[in-house]
Amino acid sequence: MRSPKTYRLRAAPLQPLLAKELREITNGRALWTMLLLLCPLVGYSFFQAVSLYGEASTAALQSPALASSLSPLEGILVPTLGSFYVAVTLLFPFVAIRTLGQEKETGALRLLVQLPYRLSTLVSAKHIAVLAAWCLAFIPALSALVFWRILGGHLAPLETANLLLGHLLYGLLIGALALCSASVAESSATAAIIALAVTIGSWVMDFTVAGSPGLLSWLAQLSLTQTLRPFEQGLLAGGLVLGTACAILGFVALATVWLPPGVPLLVKLRRSAACAAIAALVLGVATQVRSTVDVTEDGRNSFPSADQRLLGTLRLPLRVTVHLAQEDPRYADLQRNVLAKLERAMPSVSVTLARPRQGFLGGSSDESYGEVEYVYDNRSDVSRSTSPREILPLLYALAGISPPEPRPGIEYPGYPLVASADAALYWFFGGLPLAIVLCWRWFRRTTSNSYAREGGPS
Amino acid sequence: MLSVELPSGENPVPPLRVIALTKWYGEERAIDGVTFSASGGEVVGIIGPNGAGKTTLLETLVGLLPAEAGDVLWHGEPLPASKRRKELFYLPDGVRPYRDEATFQVVSFFAGVYRRSKAEVADTVTSVGLKPVINKRVHALSKGYNRRLLLALALLAPHPVLLMDEPFDGFDLRQTREIADVLRKHAAHGRTFILAVHQLADAERVCDRLILLAGGRIRGSGTLDELRAQASLPAGSLEDIFLALT
Repeated sequence: MRSPKTYRLRAAPLQPLLAKELREITNGRALWTMLLLLCPLVGYSFFQAVSLYGEASTAALQSPALASSLSPLEGILVPTLGSFYVAVTLLFPFVAIRTLGQEKETGALRLLVQLPYRLSTLVSAKHIAVLAAWCLAFIPALSALVFWRILGGHLAPLETANLLLGHLLYGLLIGALALCSASVAESSATAAIIALAVTIGSWVMDFTVAGSPGLLSWLAQLSLTQTLRPFEQGLLAGGLVLGTACAILGFVALATVWLPPGVPLLVKLRRSAACAAIAALVLGVATQVRSTVDVTEDGRNSFPSADQRLLGTLRLPLRVTVHLAQEDPRYADLQRNVLAKLERAMPSVSVTLARPRQGFLGGSSDESYGEVEYVYDNRSDVSRSTSPREILPLLYALAGISPPEPRPGIEYPGYPLVASADAALYWFFGGLPLAIVLCWRWFRRTTSNSYAREGGPS
Repeated sequence: MLSVELPSGENPVPPLRVIALTKWYGEERAIDGVTFSASGGEVVGIIGPNGAGKTTLLETLVGLLPAEAGDVLWHGEPLPASKRRKELFYLPDGVRPYRDEATFQVVSFFAGVYRRSKAEVADTVTSVGLKPVINKRVHALSKGYNRRLLLALALLAPHPVLLMDEPFDGFDLRQTREIADVLRKHAAHGRTFILAVHQLADAERVCDRLILLAGGRIRGSGTLDELRAQASLPAGSLEDIFLALT
């Protein structure tokens, strides 16, 4: 009675496992409930964004100068997807936890870990199901983008794709975190508490310590909410993508370590420490990856192209000392308008924040407060400006080169649009929820009627 | 009947040997130096009172719980916990797997994983009497049908040794006999069963050999006659032996 097929651990096909994970996630109520909640959330955000954009566009239609400041990325995409981000942060963990939590609670995990798959394969299959759930959850946001196009709105392919990539990475990160907490915790409730503690804790950390100097500033950088910001600004940051991918893989690895029930706690802790050490190492490398691409259509994150090219030829290090407090709005302006662009354009830029001297009554007594010193090739100059129009000539003078000739290029026209999104409300509050409910029912009915079609015994 | 992957070499020596297996729960010793073996085609019953350590023994043996000491040998070679799932398949008690799925989907999942043919699946579904509820969702199954589903999953697994915790729980006498016949047919084809059984009558009916467990220790083992001799009860029933030895 020997089986003609040789039974080996790695020989099991992936298709049944993936199909099972997808069924599990679509059979549960969590995903469909999240989808139903997303409809009004995304819909109302989109409606508000279109209204505000329309108001701004009314004035802009009279003036080309005003029109050039109207970008759909900032005006429509970011606020509409902002509500999706909130839902992913608060609701998506419940969807992702279900992929493992229910198996733990019903005891099915003890069957699952005996199947001829590697543990990493089991966890990866669950993460693929989480990715599929994210794609389904993205449908309301996607339909908002379609509506925008139907209304005659403009979407720049690169910056739109970049923003979607950011949301995808963020969704996968939250999914991996939830999966990891489900693997560590005994129950789904505990897993949800762990996942929400991390995500909401990230928010709190971001709000409370952002802008603070030193270690607190570094801690704020670790917040999950930082993941999306560069993408929302139209930047594709290599270091951020690498770091996020590393964090996702790190959580998946931790979930794999904690999945098998037969491994002693000390062994799991040792393996977790090894995973954390490797993840920290890669994250450290990721922080050193400075390559960033400005994918915005208006090039808002870059100097004019002639300046970009010329600055790229300045090979010596530029040292910038800023005599401003980190929470000073002028520092934020300087950072956004000049320093961040310089760091992307020049090969070597170092920025130092000089701590202002405190006066007797707590105010700054430093006369140099507000100054920014630029040192290049042993020459230095000081300016209080936060505008590139003044800083760039200063830098060219320090480098002993002439400013580039301004080249006539295609000016960013801006995309003002006065439109009504009233019809979208009917879709987001009526049509789409109804379609979701029908899909849900269809999924459940398909499950219970398809055995005969699959050729089961009659 | 399903095809089963038997160990290579067709060795008549007991393929599975458990030596001095020990498991602690904190300060309490749940399994204390348990040693036994199982031959191909044998149905071994582990019997004992509540809290005797039957489930802990099976879960430690299969590697779902870490053991503090002891060895598991497969054809004389040590079988580490991480590799036991290649030879042993354990069916736990009290599991209701994938509650939101239809019964046939759960069966198809296991059949797909182990590359079972439609004929083999149909044979298994029929043999354990799962056909009447095949389209029902798992959460809607009665306790008995849930047990049949679990048995079907275990029988679809190609492992040479199956460990089952309370396989007859939820069955009446007639159903127990039907399922016992199914297990005996599989055993007749060389598959080994290690069953943790609470009901002594069920154990006596199905098992070739019995291991009496109490307080995590083996109090007696062998065929019914051998146990009678150990308990000095030449005409005693299994109940008498159980009470005498535990």
